[in-house]
Amino acid sequence: MTHATDREAIPEPQNPLGVDGIEFIEFATSRPQALGGVLETFGFRPIARHRSREVELYRQGTMNIVVNAQPADVPRTVMPTERPVISAFAVRVRDAQYAYRRAIELGAWEIPVRAQAMEINVPAIHGVGESLIYFVDRYDEFSIYDVDFRAIPTVDPHPPAVAGMHFFGIVQYVGPDRTADWTEFYSQLMGFTPLPRQVRFGIMPSGLLLESPCRKFFLQLIEPDESARFAAMDEHLQRVGLGTPDVTAAVASLERRGVEFLATDRVHSSERGALTKPLLGGMMFELVKSTPPGAGER
Amino acid sequence: MIFRDIGMATASLAGSLETKLAAVRNAGFSQVMIAAADVVSHPGGTAAGVRAVRASGLEVTGVEALRDFEGLERQLHAYKVDVAKAMLGICADLGGRLLLVEASTSKHASADPAAIARDLGKLAVLAVPLGIRVAYKGQPWSRTARDFRQAADIVLRANVPNLGVAVDAFDVLASGVPLDDLDILDPDQTFLVQVSDYMWQEVRSAEEQAVTATHFRVFPGEGAHSEALSEFIARLDTNGYVGNYSFDVYNDDFLQMPPEVVAVRARRAAVWLAETVLRRALPVPNVARLRALRG
Repeated sequence: MTHATDREAIPEPQNPLGVDGIEFIEFATSRPQALGGVLETFGFRPIARHRSREVELYRQGTMNIVVNAQPADVPRTVMPTERPVISAFAVRVRDAQYAYRRAIELGAWEIPVRAQAMEINVPAIHGVGESLIYFVDRYDEFSIYDVDFRAIPTVDPHPPAVAGMHFFGIVQYVGPDRTADWTEFYSQLMGFTPLPRQVRFGIMPSGLLLESPCRKFFLQLIEPDESARFAAMDEHLQRVGLGTPDVTAAVASLERRGVEFLATDRVHSSERGALTKPLLGGMMFELVKSTPPGAGER
Repeated sequence: MIFRDIGMATASLAGSLETKLAAVRNAGFSQVMIAAADVVSHPGGTAAGVRAVRASGLEVTGVEALRDFEGLERQLHAYKVDVAKAMLGICADLGGRLLLVEASTSKHASADPAAIARDLGKLAVLAVPLGIRVAYKGQPWSRTARDFRQAADIVLRANVPNLGVAVDAFDVLASGVPLDDLDILDPDQTFLVQVSDYMWQEVRSAEEQAVTATHFRVFPGEGAHSEALSEFIARLDTNGYVGNYSFDVYNDDFLQMPPEVVAVRARRAAVWLAETVLRRALPVPNVARLRALRG
C-alpha cells in the first residue's frame, strides 16, 4: 500500500490552533478618557483597570476592548497618540504557547517575552504595521484579566450587549498588490480562508474577506483604490466591525445614545449594515448584519 | 528618464556609501541596489547609513544579499533566521521592497527541495509584515539551486506569493542554459533581473565561472556577449517581465576606479539596454498598470 498522500492532497486540519473567536481588541491612545467616552456611547462599560499600567478593560456582551495609553516600549508597536488606533487583537486558541511556537516556526516575528506591550502574560506576534496579535487560551473558567487587572468596584462585570452586538471582524488596509501576501500570512499562521468575491457582508463591499477557521470572525483586506496606488505604503488595522442580528434596531439604539452614522449617497445605513462617522480624528466602527456565533447559522 | 527601470548596485562602486549614492544619482539613475554591508559598515552606524540612502532620493531596488540561508537545521537555521530578520529590518528601514537571496553554497545545507522550499516560505512569511518580497537566485556553485530553473522549481513548490525568482544573466550566459528555458518563468513571480557581461568568450569550469562572477564582470554592452545578452533581455521582455533590471557587476578593476567614472560606464550600458534592447519607448509608470494593460 502506498502512502496516502502520494495519491491525493490530504488537507491539513482546517483549524490546527483551535481558533475560537476574538478575545479582545486593543486600542492605543494618549487620550484614554476620550476613547472611553466614545466606547460608552456604543454600550461598552469600563469594568477593570490594569494593576500597574495605564490600561483599561471595557466590555459589553461577549466583546472585550482594551484601551492602552501606556507609551510603547517594544519596537514596531503603536506609540499612543490622540487619535485612537487599533493596536492589537487577541485570538482565542486551544493552547496559546503552541499557537505561538507554531507561528514563530512558520515565520512570525516574536515579541520580546519580558516586554509584552500590555504586560498581560500572553504570547504575541507582530501583525500588520505596528499592531500585535495575541494568542489567548484562558477564556473559559478564568481569564487573563483576573491576573493583570483589578475589577472596578460596584460595576457589573458582564454588561449586556446593545442590540445583540458582537465582534464581527476587523478591516485591514493593505498596500497595492498586497492582498495575496496578507492572505498567505493569515492562512499560514492561523488557518484563515479567503471567501469567494461574491460573498459580502454589510455595506462596505471592497476588498477580500478572510474567514477565521472557527467561522466566528472575519478579516477584510482592502487595497488602496487606483488614485492612491502611488502613495507610500500604509498598512494598518483600520476599523472594527460589530455584528448585530438587527442593524436597523442597533442603529436606532446607538443613535439614541449619541452615535452618528454616515448618511451619504454612497454610504448610508441599511438593514445590511452601517458605518459611523469618523470619531476622535478618524476612528470608525462598522455595523454588519450577523447572528452572534453560537446562536445558529449566520 | 528612459531607463528608470534600470539600476546600479552599490557593490559595483568604490568609496563611501554617500560617494556611491552620489555617483549613481549623478549618472542619471533613479534606483540602486543596496549591499547591506554598505549600510551597516557606515562609519556613523547603521542608522546613518539608512539616512544616507533615504537622503539620496534614490529608489531602493532591493537589498543584497542573504546567503546560505536555506536547508539548515536546528541552531544553524535559528542563527540564519536571525541574520535574515536583521537584513529584512535594514531593507524595511531603507524603504526597500525586495530582499535578494542567493542559493546556498553551504556544505551543511540539505539539498532536499521540500526542506529548501519550507525555509524560503518561512522567510517570505517573515517578510510579509514589512512589505518585502523575497527574490531567490540560483548560483552555478550552489547546492540548493544552480540556476533560475531550479530556483523557479523551489519557488513554485513553496507557493508563497511574495517569494519569487531573481534571474542573473551572467549565470545564463556562462552556464549555457538555453534561452528557451526562460519561458518557464512566470513573469509575475520573477521579481528581479540582474544583468552583466564579461570579457572572455568562454568559461571553462565551474571554478572559473565562480571567479569570473565575483571579480571580472563588466556592464552590458562592454563585454563579449552583447548579442546573447540582448536576446536574453528581449526574451524576458517578450514573456511579459515588467520589473526592474539591476546591474550586477562585480569587478576588481572598478573598485580601483573613481566611482563616478564607473557610474558613467553604467549609464552608457543603461542607455544601450533601454534604447537598443528594451525599446521601452515610454517611461514605465507602474508595474500594476502595465499588468492591467496586458490584461
